[in-house]
Amino acid sequence: MDISFSEQDLQFQEEIRAGLNGSEYPSHVREKREKGIALSKQDQIDFHKFIHSKGWMGYNWPVEYGGTGWSPVQIYLFLNELALAQCPTILPFGLSMVGPVIYTFGNQEQKDRFLPDILEFNTWWCQGYSEPGSGSDLASLKTKAVLDGDHYIVNGSKTWTTLAQHADWIFCLVRTETTQKKQEGISFLLIDMNTPGIEVKPIITIDGDHEVNSVFFTDVKVPADQLIGEEGKGWTYAKFLLAHERFGIAGVPVVKVQLDKLKNITINHDDADLSRKIAELEIDLAALEFTELRTLAAIAEGGHPGAESSILKIRGTEIQQRMTELFVEAAGQYILPYEGPEGFESNRTPAGPDYASPSVAQYLNYRKTSIYGGSNEIQKNIIAKAILGV
Amino acid sequence: MNLNYSDEQNMLREQVLKFCETNYDFIDREKILASDSGYSEDNWKQFADLGWLAVPFKEENGGFNFGPVELTVLFEEFGKALVVEPYLSSVVMSGTVLEGSNHPEKVSIIEKIISGQHHISVAYAEAGIGYNFLDCVTSVSKDGELFTLNGSKSLVLNAGNANQFIVLATHENAPALVIINAEDKGISVQSFKTLDGQTCGELTFENVSLEAESILALGDEAEVLFNKMLNLSILCISAEAVGAMTSSYMKTVQYTKEREQFAQPISNFQVLQHRMVDMFIETELTKSLMIKATLQLDSNDSEAGSTISALKVQVGKAGRLVGQHAVQLHGGMGVSDEMSIGHYLKRFTAIDSMFGNTQYHINKYQAK
Repeated sequence: MDISFSEQDLQFQEEIRAGLNGSEYPSHVREKREKGIALSKQDQIDFHKFIHSKGWMGYNWPVEYGGTGWSPVQIYLFLNELALAQCPTILPFGLSMVGPVIYTFGNQEQKDRFLPDILEFNTWWCQGYSEPGSGSDLASLKTKAVLDGDHYIVNGSKTWTTLAQHADWIFCLVRTETTQKKQEGISFLLIDMNTPGIEVKPIITIDGDHEVNSVFFTDVKVPADQLIGEEGKGWTYAKFLLAHERFGIAGVPVVKVQLDKLKNITINHDDADLSRKIAELEIDLAALEFTELRTLAAIAEGGHPGAESSILKIRGTEIQQRMTELFVEAAGQYILPYEGPEGFESNRTPAGPDYASPSVAQYLNYRKTSIYGGSNEIQKNIIAKAILGV
Repeated sequence: MNLNYSDEQNMLREQVLKFCETNYDFIDREKILASDSGYSEDNWKQFADLGWLAVPFKEENGGFNFGPVELTVLFEEFGKALVVEPYLSSVVMSGTVLEGSNHPEKVSIIEKIISGQHHISVAYAEAGIGYNFLDCVTSVSKDGELFTLNGSKSLVLNAGNANQFIVLATHENAPALVIINAEDKGISVQSFKTLDGQTCGELTFENVSLEAESILALGDEAEVLFNKMLNLSILCISAEAVGAMTSSYMKTVQYTKEREQFAQPISNFQVLQHRMVDMFIETELTKSLMIKATLQLDSNDSEAGSTISALKVQVGKAGRLVGQHAVQLHGGMGVSDEMSIGHYLKRFTAIDSMFGNTQYHINKYQAK
């Protein structure tokens, strides 16, 4: 047994760290992230263009499609360094979600058409999965696509669509057939957001942020060559996509950085109860981190992750949420003035520490983590069935 | 990066598993608990024959030179079957101290431990000082060529069966570890059953006379050796807890599949399913910290002590959750002493209380 990283891997880690600390890194993005202020669309683009300029954008793609071809350990270390440097998350919709589906199930023309723009971040993708009536029971989705010559006509609506207001394209699960088994009539369709008949309406979340949207489709004409793979196989592709993104879901390095901040903030608070909660959270984080390493060790030797990997999402999001609660606790009464995730205008600031308002934003925003990506209750159903066999 | 057990380690696990399957069902265990000594001498002899008592000792002392990984393998399997034989006190605790000492007869004493003829218990706890074992009052003082031991020790594991004791005492305001024979004049032993069916004892020393060579370690050396023993002991009972948690959740899953109410197996109910998932999650997280602590102790990592505290906290919390859920999901059967499941809860409770409980180790972790 040995948990240490190889010399080459440690050198790789150094290179990434040096790159992220270099002068090419967009300084306005760094500044906002350190203060806990929301990023604009342009900030996001600047960050992703930087990642691309370093040749890191296809960090989880094979070389064949312009990716880095990195090993699982390298991917783990890369994501770890990004989080420790307080970078924003590399947006998963193009790179980790639709990209792998296209290069695995798409035809040559689709690969040539879409993949380069994903790597260069020329197109912003969003995910059209959930619907008003289909959340945890995703396969019950109703958005309909009817083939009419060389086009599909799409009608219906999607919801909780993250950053759809910025998106150029959306990948959608649509119903092309009403079948006995509801999973069998689902297809995977790529749709240009500029197509007539698409309407995006913001959903403001409890933190005051505009992150998610409703997307409405009314007689939207989608060229049939934008169907991925076969009609009726969309559910298979969607499941493949869910399995593809495993690393980073626990959010360990993000919480580490935040806990260090919190310890600095509270160093003179003389609050034994809060210090104790921080210590307990650190212990839980250590257990989670090593669980992730167990998963990584299994994958690194070409094996499958064991049962322990299923824990990462549940416990990771619980820990993230507890971390946000501790910030709110540390800020005390000064959380009261709050005008949204962008903070206050600089000429008028309320009493209290700088971190008070971002603590509220983070606390409210992180409630989503135990809901998205398969709610934690759904995750427990999966473990009960797949691992405990009940 | 490789977290697989070696073939040798897997064989050891297989061997312990097989032994427990043949010799350690619930009825066998009940008989052992009811016996005077509180453990089975036959089993102990088999442990010796199988070479298990030699596992942690160095080759030059007649051992297999195995490390913390092998000990956790043994203890995890012991935990699954709730083995009560005094491996922790007679092999891990006393063995660690002896091996780290310069006692002139240590090789022959270790040989006797390995052969299964000899039990030594470490007397580390004392009334009134809680978990701050080094702040003890029991003292050893110089008396001409000889030394004299006075005071009392508490909660000495397997005390009634011990041939010798290793006692943590103070000497000129510094810690000292001394070895004495159970028959020496001035020692009295009072034995008790523990809450989980094992045994412990209260020792009192009245002018017990020692030769200079009985002093195993003094001052910083004694402190380092004692802490090494504590860390390894915590690792071992944590591995035992992981094994006991694994059995607890698996037995609970099995029971809920078989138990029918409202015309169906109660495992169909989602609220019970989610509780069992919580038991599984806590078990796996404990295992993760156990492996981390094992590797750090094995490589003398400077953070090992802090990870050991983290592990002990996790063992305390997880043991409580898994043990209580297991009892709850077994319903009335869970609180019946005739079922094994409640005995796991008792073992978790005992383990949390030993070598610093959850609260103590949270404080220790914080102070790191």
